[in-house]
Amino acid sequence: MEFKDYYKILGVSKNADVKDIKTAYRKLARKYHPDLNPAEGVGEKFKEIAEAYEVLKDAGRRAKFDEILEYGDQSSQGFQPPPGWQQDQHAYQGDPNPDAHFSDFFNSIFSGGFDQSHFHGQAQQHHSRGQDVETELAMSLQETLHQQIKTVHFKLPVSEGGKTHQIKKQLNIKIPQGVINGERIRLKGQGKPGYGGGEPGDLYLHIRINNHPLFDVQKHDLVLTLPLTPWEAALGTKVTVPTLDGKVTLTIAANTQSGTKLRVKGKGLKRKDKLGDLFVVINVIIPPVSNDKATQLWQELAKNSAFDPRVSWGEYL
Amino acid sequence: MMRRLTVISLNELCQLERIESHHIIEIVENGIVKPIANANSKDWEFDTSSVHWIKKAVRLHQDLEIDWLAVALLIDLIQQRDSLQREKEFFQQQLRRFTQH
Repeated sequence: MEFKDYYKILGVSKNADVKDIKTAYRKLARKYHPDLNPAEGVGEKFKEIAEAYEVLKDAGRRAKFDEILEYGDQSSQGFQPPPGWQQDQHAYQGDPNPDAHFSDFFNSIFSGGFDQSHFHGQAQQHHSRGQDVETELAMSLQETLHQQIKTVHFKLPVSEGGKTHQIKKQLNIKIPQGVINGERIRLKGQGKPGYGGGEPGDLYLHIRINNHPLFDVQKHDLVLTLPLTPWEAALGTKVTVPTLDGKVTLTIAANTQSGTKLRVKGKGLKRKDKLGDLFVVINVIIPPVSNDKATQLWQELAKNSAFDPRVSWGEYL
Repeated sequence: MMRRLTVISLNELCQLERIESHHIIEIVENGIVKPIANANSKDWEFDTSSVHWIKKAVRLHQDLEIDWLAVALLIDLIQQRDSLQREKEFFQQQLRRFTQH
């Protein structure tokens, strides 16, 4: 098993006092706590930091660790406790279920885990509920318009004989109409199995809505960018635009500016109690290539127009 | 086919997630989450999004050794950060759509 140098993990010296240990832990916790830092891999790093703190803040555990540090074999073949060294079965109230929060190294030293009340404030028990599992489910925007049956594939960590491995599972799940990005759906009893007859944990599905090539989402509303030619914007026109489940024809008024937002009621995302709208944002595009005739027409327009879009700059020029 | 559960009672939350009820009361009193119906605390029910924030609040309270007011401030800032992040991504995408021609 891998040896862990808790002093190194917290970046403190072997004679650091409790205050230094606390300060070092808090500094690292702010940096690596998975709830504060969404980057991948910080969860494992934080687990290591929390484990180091659990050991070093407690005088009894720290003394025991110091003993191991001094006399144990920390060679690359893996950690071996000092000869004749025995786990102290009475130092802590051992839970027969090695605590999944901690490494094998921790559990081997501190006799089969320790009282979970340190973490959960609850009396130690010999059967425990399995942990909840979170997994992501990707959906398209169209799929949110109607109730869907989706197959979810996920990995479940299972402990057997003190070792953890992952099993693949799949479930068919009814996803209600109108789910939104980031929504969580709870499936009772589909999480990690319990220990000693305890109930299994729950599975939380985290919904992720994939980006659409045309539509952007703002809460329950959809946003579509509509490119127009300068003459369409100037003269007004009728344009057919796509919606998520069909199309609508919009009337564009004369002299419509880029950035103008038109609302198409009820063509956004659908929920039980709410119906979002579709917002169409105008984007006037100048043709990228021109020909002699077009250039001539632009020149004529320039001659006949007194329009100055920079009139408000006057005092700065 | 699985039944989808959207609501968890206070009791269920305490039993299932091993969270003490007085912690949940602190979390509600500090405005971190709102129960679905504002009845007596023993009748409180929470939606799955609230459960997510309750679990996060308990982890922050214990792991960072900070009081509930600090947890509430922290969660407020995390939610603001998440919302600004979403807004930023939305506007960046809009900008791309406006300038890709």
